[in-house]
Amino acid sequence: MPQLAPGCDPAQLPLSPAEGYLLSRIDGRTPWSLLREIGGLPPSEVDRCLERWVSEGILVVNGSAAKSTPIPQAAPREAGEESQTTPCPPAEVPRAAAASSGQTDESLEIPVEAQERILEFEKRLKRPYHEILGVAANADVKAVKRAYFELSKEYHPDRYFRRNIGPFAPRLGRIFKRLVEAYELLSDPATRAEVQRNVAEPPPPPAVAATEKAPAEPKKKLPPIHLHAPQLRALAERKAKAKGFFETGMAAFKEGRWREAAASVRLAIAFDPWNEAVKEAFAEVQHKANEERAEQLLKEANANLDLRRVAEALPLFEEALHYRPHDPEVNHTTARLAWLGAEDLKKAKEYAARACELRPEVSAYRRTLGQIYKAAGLIANARRELEAVLRIDPKDAEAKRELRSLPKK
Amino acid sequence: MGRVIGIDLGTTNSCVAVMENGQPTVIPNAGGYKTTPSMFAISQDGKRLVGHLAKRQAITNARNTVYASKRLIGRRFDAPEVQKAIDLCPYEIVRGPNDDPRVRIGEKTFTCPELSALILREMKRVAEEHLGEPVRDAVITVPAHFNDTQRQCTKDAGKIAGLEVLRIINEPTAAALAYGFAKKREEKIAVYDLGGGTFDISILELGSGVLEVLATGGNTFLGGEDLDRRLVAHLLERFQEAEGIDLRADAMALQRLKDAAEKAKCDLSTRDVSEINLPFVASDARGPRHLNIEVTRETLEGLVDDIVRQTIKIVESCLHDAGLTREQIDQVVLVGGQTRMPLVQNLVTELFGKRPHKGVNPDEVVAVGAAIQGESLLSEDKNLLLLDVTPLSLGIATFGGHFAKLIERNTTVPVRKGHIFTTTRDNQSAVKIRVLQGESETAAENDLLGEFVLSGIRPARKGEPEVEVSFDIDANGIVSVSARDQATGKEQSIQVNATGTLSEEEIQRIIDENELYEVQLKE
Repeated sequence: MPQLAPGCDPAQLPLSPAEGYLLSRIDGRTPWSLLREIGGLPPSEVDRCLERWVSEGILVVNGSAAKSTPIPQAAPREAGEESQTTPCPPAEVPRAAAASSGQTDESLEIPVEAQERILEFEKRLKRPYHEILGVAANADVKAVKRAYFELSKEYHPDRYFRRNIGPFAPRLGRIFKRLVEAYELLSDPATRAEVQRNVAEPPPPPAVAATEKAPAEPKKKLPPIHLHAPQLRALAERKAKAKGFFETGMAAFKEGRWREAAASVRLAIAFDPWNEAVKEAFAEVQHKANEERAEQLLKEANANLDLRRVAEALPLFEEALHYRPHDPEVNHTTARLAWLGAEDLKKAKEYAARACELRPEVSAYRRTLGQIYKAAGLIANARRELEAVLRIDPKDAEAKRELRSLPKK
Repeated sequence: MGRVIGIDLGTTNSCVAVMENGQPTVIPNAGGYKTTPSMFAISQDGKRLVGHLAKRQAITNARNTVYASKRLIGRRFDAPEVQKAIDLCPYEIVRGPNDDPRVRIGEKTFTCPELSALILREMKRVAEEHLGEPVRDAVITVPAHFNDTQRQCTKDAGKIAGLEVLRIINEPTAAALAYGFAKKREEKIAVYDLGGGTFDISILELGSGVLEVLATGGNTFLGGEDLDRRLVAHLLERFQEAEGIDLRADAMALQRLKDAAEKAKCDLSTRDVSEINLPFVASDARGPRHLNIEVTRETLEGLVDDIVRQTIKIVESCLHDAGLTREQIDQVVLVGGQTRMPLVQNLVTELFGKRPHKGVNPDEVVAVGAAIQGESLLSEDKNLLLLDVTPLSLGIATFGGHFAKLIERNTTVPVRKGHIFTTTRDNQSAVKIRVLQGESETAAENDLLGEFVLSGIRPARKGEPEVEVSFDIDANGIVSVSARDQATGKEQSIQVNATGTLSEEEIQRIIDENELYEVQLKE
């Protein structure tokens, strides 16, 4: 038989009208099963509300047999009414309940009562933020801060500085981190509203089952990250920045300054990686910018080549390839430079092979590949490639000559 | 268990305090002074001198007298602060094997933690003499802008000095603790700290015995010495006008002028006129010349007004960071000798619309706060809890060389925070997590604390995979970072340890050496 916890003032609770109606039906004489019918809500909703209120200490349940839906928490409880009486904003926790968890340890340098409070508090860490702090959902910043300060005094790890408190040290850490989080979110006007909206929706885990089930393992999943106060603020700032960069970028794009455009749009993405439109625009801008850069590099590279400055030309070709990896001619030229100019056969082979892959029908590319293999002493490979050249162009004299010069099998 | 002392390890002066019968007490040294110059020297006959003894012979033995070594601690040799010090200091600063600045006196080279340790050891000795019992535990203060390396080096210094450093806390925070001790009201406090070389401003909130840092700001290149320099320049000009002699090239004369200017500046805090008298400061064909110049408070204020106004600008931006208006500040606490200057007090009063708190001594308040924190950590009844904060923002490097902050500076610790990140390329199978610390938006301008790779991400379009990166700072300030692939549950993590400029072995070697030295002394 559910009934209102002693000392609990329903007027202080953050309830919707429907919940308020349900609460008004609870008089300590109406059994759970009947409440499901007369509560004004679908039975499943009634169950959820009641279970939540029980876990929050708003309700206490007498005689578990009375209700038709078994509640997981009911079975092991024998301590009676007192153990389940919690003042409604749950800042303090009943002691007997914690003792039953059997995790306290008298040998530690922390009073057993404090251990019990810590164990109980830890179980409630998944509750909505305002409940963790023990304030009303619409509490003002001042009340939030006061509650946070009070709880800090009890649960800050420094309270037991240098004492042997065994497993309670990590527990305090977890509790305090959650307190900081709750405080940050509820004391910042920017995040308060969102948190409160989230609270208005039903809490994720069915309250009783999740909170009362034994030993509250530290949450595996983190609280919703996007809610963090500084991050929300930062997010808005980032988005604004991203917008600025994007606009600058598109302006440059219109004027054909591709590289400037790409740089700005890249910054925009870095600041706001969630914006799909910007990402799409980026692909085009990036392509144009790459083309422009590649052109520029190739021009410079060819100029160097004309002056026979192979050492200068090679890195420029390689960089151009970075922007235009699918250009067979550039791959081929780079391969020849790497082979003849830098004698870097490994690199040369890679570029030549890439050129062949892109345009398998061009005999000149394959001939170069064959010659590089030959230079590297990979005779079998060289023979294979040169023979392939002759298949494409049976009149290729150079390939024939190279083939003849290969050592016999 | 012995008592815990609080040490304000200052750039120019240090101070030690202890709790006696529930009240904080500043301990005077053997000379009866409550502050001790942070100076160390090796005298001509090879004796090691610390504090007032070192200061007294500083002018005649400038090359072998080390002061303001706090400016060097925890920095790299190439840092601008170190290079500036090399220009200004008469003692020799050399590059150490860890790229750290070290000081060479004669044959011996001292690391910065070692130099700080010499001061700390002196403060420990002062306390032990006063208390008549050995002291082991200490809380030491550092400027709010000190980074992890500087903090760790200060901790190492404590270790070398034979101290167990319970905590390193921020100087302004300590000042607020000293102010907030035994106060039950809810108040917002501004701590304005203008020292010799740096300016710090912190805004804190006190409520039911808990102290929380709301915001900090400052300028590491702005302090009382800038005022001295202005006055020296003024004196040089006036002397040149009157006598036609430029003293700028004369090191001895400059040193005398600098000392005199500092003294005049202090005088002018209580008097309207100060006379600067330096006989025989130079000589020319006419014979010896004397410098005799009267400086009024008005002149001095005219010379330095813009410097002091700069601090006011910083205070305003710090208020903005804290989300407060100036009227919401209930109490202003002044720290640092420079705040004795009437101009500073007037501008601060003007800004906040109320006079600064008078109950604390700006030279001693920091040590007092450190002692209070030490006592409060160890005692049974906790009547004051400091919610300590991270000095610098923590985060990771993201695409495009940006720095994504996950934990903003001044976040209360212990703390845990996470954020979802994603890939930047199609079918990207691994992400590299580079853990950074600092305030710059550009990744490369922050300090790299560590890095690791999370691999095995399922092939997907860029932007689709979700990798949750979490930062966790525990009660001892140890930072762990983990990255978790939401799809596969795969996780990688790293623990980031604060490191100073010395390795454990080096610290141990220095401790051993010092023990040898102590033994020698006693013989």
